[in-house]
Amino acid sequence: MPLSELLRTTSFRVALLLLALFSAASVFLYVQTAGYITGEDDEWLASKQAELAAASPAIRREQLGERPVGDRDVEGRSLSALFDAAGNWLGGSRVSLPQPFPPLDRAFEFERKEGGKSVPFRGLLHRLPSGEILLVSRDVSEEHEFRGLLAGAMAWGWFMVLVTGLAGAAVSGAGTLRRLDAVAGAIERIVGGNLSERLPAGESAGDLGRLIRVVNGMLDDLERLMQEVKGVSDGIAHDLRTPLTRLLAGLERAHRRAASAGEYAAAVEEAIVETRGILSSFSAMLRISELEDGARRAGFSKLDLVDLGRVATDVIELYDPLAEDKGVALALEGAGPGPAELPGDPSLLFEAIGNLVDNAIKFTPAGGRVTVRVVREDGRLGIAVADTGPGIPAAERGAVLRRFYRAEKSRHTAGSGLGLSLVAAVARLHGLRLAIEDAAPGCRVTLWRESLVAQA
Amino acid sequence: MARVLVVEDDVGTAAEIAAALGDQGFDVECAHTGREGLLKAVADGYEAIVLDRMLPGGLDGLAVLQTLRTAGVETPVLILSALSAVDERVRGLRAGGDDYLTKPFEFVELTARVEALVRRRAIPPAETALRAGDLEIDLLSRQVRRAGRTVELLPREYRLLEYLMRHPGQVVTRTMLFEEVWGYHYEERTNVIDVHIGKLRRKLDEGGLPAMIHTVRGAGYILRAAE
Repeated sequence: MPLSELLRTTSFRVALLLLALFSAASVFLYVQTAGYITGEDDEWLASKQAELAAASPAIRREQLGERPVGDRDVEGRSLSALFDAAGNWLGGSRVSLPQPFPPLDRAFEFERKEGGKSVPFRGLLHRLPSGEILLVSRDVSEEHEFRGLLAGAMAWGWFMVLVTGLAGAAVSGAGTLRRLDAVAGAIERIVGGNLSERLPAGESAGDLGRLIRVVNGMLDDLERLMQEVKGVSDGIAHDLRTPLTRLLAGLERAHRRAASAGEYAAAVEEAIVETRGILSSFSAMLRISELEDGARRAGFSKLDLVDLGRVATDVIELYDPLAEDKGVALALEGAGPGPAELPGDPSLLFEAIGNLVDNAIKFTPAGGRVTVRVVREDGRLGIAVADTGPGIPAAERGAVLRRFYRAEKSRHTAGSGLGLSLVAAVARLHGLRLAIEDAAPGCRVTLWRESLVAQA
Repeated sequence: MARVLVVEDDVGTAAEIAAALGDQGFDVECAHTGREGLLKAVADGYEAIVLDRMLPGGLDGLAVLQTLRTAGVETPVLILSALSAVDERVRGLRAGGDDYLTKPFEFVELTARVEALVRRRAIPPAETALRAGDLEIDLLSRQVRRAGRTVELLPREYRLLEYLMRHPGQVVTRTMLFEEVWGYHYEERTNVIDVHIGKLRRKLDEGGLPAMIHTVRGAGYILRAAE
């Protein structure tokens, strides 16, 4: 794995950022601590100097003369001396002034040889009213030592952070890169046409793991949709090929055999009927895909309220003679009182309910019963169509919603097999759920949703 | 002879529509762009216009229609469209269209609708009774009489009959009946309408009277005065 790629990983960048933050914090801490210590020294120097300056010349001389430890004063840490205006030593510790003079009344550092060692001092010069110059100073080797130790400790800390941070970043970055490579490989295979391939999920619950799970969910959906599309085009191919073959065969037969105008006319008539069937299957498919597009969802406003009870009444009225002819009782339940309204398109709902009723009548034997019920209880709003026909086996209930699906038993009845998928598309468009249940005996199809009492 | 203008950009389709309408006895002219259609529609008096919704060259069908209506041209317009969604239909009718037909359509449907549009203007709105041979309906009391005998009809049957009576001697398709009488808009493909017509027919022809409502194969129905 190339180093440049590793350097670009997020974990690497985070490590570098943390390192920079740690450096800044260390420098701040060092500067603050060192400043505090120097400040303490400067305060001491100022007070010592003020004390000596305020004393009378005699007492000052006496104090400067007290040097019990080497050249140092009683505390053993400080040196004090007096010089004339030209800088010549007058009394006190044996110190030679640095030349040229450092600025007066401002702390400065200098070094002094003591026992072959160079010792750091911090001093303060002050001109007395007499013109003499007073030096007070203090040994700061301990402070210097402490600062050195502090700097060393911080440097070590920085180094440890550098090593562990970068190593951690390299390891986790390499892991991430490996997973990304695996994901990229999987995506390339998917793009290459293998739609059943999924991204490697691994066991991690991290960000990447979550993203991968979402993407895999999306891929599941895509694969399902692709299969549906394939199912649909296979269905179209199959359903249109049969009538197209018949159409072509009929026309060719007329071409071969028809001798009289009457025979030609009959062949043309047949061709028209055949083409009409094809056209109507085709229109139904177009409508379903248009509905499934859901482009019109935004079109339903609260102003377009449709009363399900009214639509159901109209459907019953349309299909009643058909049911009567077949000897099937058709009844409406729960139509009143008051409207059962939802925003939608009345024609589409009529078509959907009509389709369900038409199916129910078709599959119910004479003497049976078809019931349309307006559902409006338990916070539900919808419509249920039940029949006393043979019912739909549980195993086939999902399949009947697919386009062109026709149950084995119904192959001999008329219809394109598009009816229920149209119902499903209309239901989806209106936010209705479609449930197929066993009505024992028979079958019940319910279109329903939670009623929106709160919004009314 | 009624003159009809067909505005349709596809030359083949326009020719087929012209041929189908010509066979129904219309005098047809074609225009292939919105601009040409608009100029012709304003300049000449037509009894009806068949207008494609999608037209090339800036001026589409709805724009042509709106311009016509703004200019005060009240010729009935049948809109042809590849857009079947219901709100598209509403938009077309709101723009001033009188009828809306979705592609792909059957030509009998088109010719029957154009015929209905052309004839619609011929019936005076103040009519209180309709008559066809020995069949008579009173539009106010909703009484139906055939050969002097009262015929009892359900409300829906009455409305079917009224629509047929308003278009005597004209082919009326199942979809037209369904749209007019039930008030919902979609292509009803089942044979439900046939069952309703069957019941109406039995009531009208009771007692061995000659049939008045005839089935036109592959198209719909036609009401003719019994000879």
